[in-house]
Amino acid sequence: MKAITRILLATMLAGILIISAFGQDELEEETLLLTFIPNIQFSPMYVAMAEGHFENAGFDVSLEYLNEPDVVDLVAAGQNNFGVVSGEQVILAASRGRPIIYVYEWFQEYPIGIVYSSAMTVESASDLVGLAVGIPGRFGATYSGFNALAASGDIAESDVQLEEIGFAAAEVFCVGRIDASVIYVNNEPLQINNLAEQGECGDVESVNVLRVADAIDLVSNGIITNQDMIDNNPEKVAAFVGAYNAGLQSVINNPLRAYLLSAEFVDGLPLDDDLRSVIETYADEQDAFLESNPSRDQIMQSREDLWLVLSESDEFSSNDLIQLQVLMTSIELWDAEQLGFSELSSWENMQETLLNLEQLDDGVDLEAVFTNEFLPTDE
Amino acid sequence: MGFLMAQTALKRKVQPTKKSQKTWGQMSRQWVRRIVPFVSVVALLALWQLIVMLEVYPRFIIPAPLEVWETFVEVLRNGTLMRHIRVTGSEVLLGLLFGLSIATFVGYLIAKLPFLEDLLSPVIVGFQSTPVVAYAPLLIIWFGSGTISKVITCAVIVFFPTLMNTIVGVRNVPNNLRELMRSLNATPLQVFTKLELPAAMPVLLTGLKTSATLAVIGAVVGEFVSAQAGLGFLVTQARSQFNTPLVLVAVFAMTALSLSLYLFISLIEHAALEWQRRSTS
Repeated sequence: MKAITRILLATMLAGILIISAFGQDELEEETLLLTFIPNIQFSPMYVAMAEGHFENAGFDVSLEYLNEPDVVDLVAAGQNNFGVVSGEQVILAASRGRPIIYVYEWFQEYPIGIVYSSAMTVESASDLVGLAVGIPGRFGATYSGFNALAASGDIAESDVQLEEIGFAAAEVFCVGRIDASVIYVNNEPLQINNLAEQGECGDVESVNVLRVADAIDLVSNGIITNQDMIDNNPEKVAAFVGAYNAGLQSVINNPLRAYLLSAEFVDGLPLDDDLRSVIETYADEQDAFLESNPSRDQIMQSREDLWLVLSESDEFSSNDLIQLQVLMTSIELWDAEQLGFSELSSWENMQETLLNLEQLDDGVDLEAVFTNEFLPTDE
Repeated sequence: MGFLMAQTALKRKVQPTKKSQKTWGQMSRQWVRRIVPFVSVVALLALWQLIVMLEVYPRFIIPAPLEVWETFVEVLRNGTLMRHIRVTGSEVLLGLLFGLSIATFVGYLIAKLPFLEDLLSPVIVGFQSTPVVAYAPLLIIWFGSGTISKVITCAVIVFFPTLMNTIVGVRNVPNNLRELMRSLNATPLQVFTKLELPAAMPVLLTGLKTSATLAVIGAVVGEFVSAQAGLGFLVTQARSQFNTPLVLVAVFAMTALSLSLYLFISLIEHAALEWQRRSTS
């Protein structure tokens, strides 16, 4: 009898393995190209992978981190199908004949700003005249953002001492070499404030940020694919975008759960046993809250409440919570009534900025470089 | 290609008396050797053009040679290329000046004082075994984004090969010659100028040739991290604007800069070691 049971169990196990093996074969391997390095800011991708949204859509996704122009060229050449880059790269690439299409606007607010000591009075870009302002380099989103902000304050690039400092704004700012710096609003200001709180940022006690998004609406980071995919595999594009959208929505709804899931992808994310235990408890509570189908405003409020409870707790230092704060701040840049939707006006503003910068000789047909047609519908 | 030809020319110059005795076969072989480098370049260009024509990659990934040439002419005419070459060139020369001076001085002291080698070797080898690209961003933070950080990057990258060549060069001076100088009551300065420096010169100049090409790498690494001008900056800028022909122009300019330095040092080597060839012949 035992022998028969064993044989039956072995047969069932073999059957399950075979079925799952066949199931895996059906998944299409996709390498999603990202920029920068593994970071909590990419939590929507991590969550979409960890929660199986990509798998449910038929994709076995892996991630690769490259420079923005490399992402564009690999996607344009059809060596990869999907990547994430900033909007100005799409316009510049299109002007140089790259057949790429922007299909999902991940950042609804342009994430660039200028950080300065709160001891200074800066109400607009015109208050920056004569100051030493750091910038990663004269290229990319930070440079476009700075120039758009400068134009909004009726100042020219030459009115400030623009200093190229690479991606080391926090260090260079805190040693006092620059008065202000062009940064990503969801990252460096938090790092600098953290250093300032610990007394490690010279005379600076706290910092404020002049946001580009408050002055002008510019298109920002989003998902790109190539023309070949749009023409020949539109259903795959829609499926991929849908899966990513689900991941992003999950992060917005329950950032604490997203933080826990992202820890598998980001080495060194602060998460000791005590913090994990507390975050798990609150993430479970948030899941229970979400079952009541709360409105977007209620979810937003719940996020604020969660952050307040954690940040005011004496149990954890600001170093423990800094990456969670980065995530919470990033969500504010992603959240919108309709996730992923791209406005033509934000593209027009970006194109005008690039033309003013003389990075673009002639304008491109903007309606040909982005589309909202692959965004998931409500049902 | 240029420096190889120059070296061939130099070799020919060393043995002028034999030229007239060469047979027709030897002369044709010599001509073939002169032409071969051009053949390889032409073949490379043809292969490049073939890849473009076969559309192995889209044109925006591999532009045609003619497209790159047109971009080269354009940036040469409007002064862009020369401006960036000047910036990188001055960083390289300053980096070489500092790197070589310090490395030669320290190398000489180490060669004379073995205790100093024991003391410094962990630091020097540790520094050398760390890729400069890993700590280049720190140099920018410490020394700012201007010329100094690039000069230091160059100096650091040329330091070790020059140091090693100096030590080897000075230590390789034959002992019997040292004893001869001693028996002639030569002062330390005379031993240095009349014996050690000339004897170490071939090794030092070989190291200098290596260092010169490394210095270009150092400057470009620094410019990649943060810069407002220079060939490394030009590559970054051209990439960010998806101007692949300009990227290639900047890369070829780096090659030309390295080769020019190599050729220049080869000529110095030829002039400085004239005495050695005379004594050998």
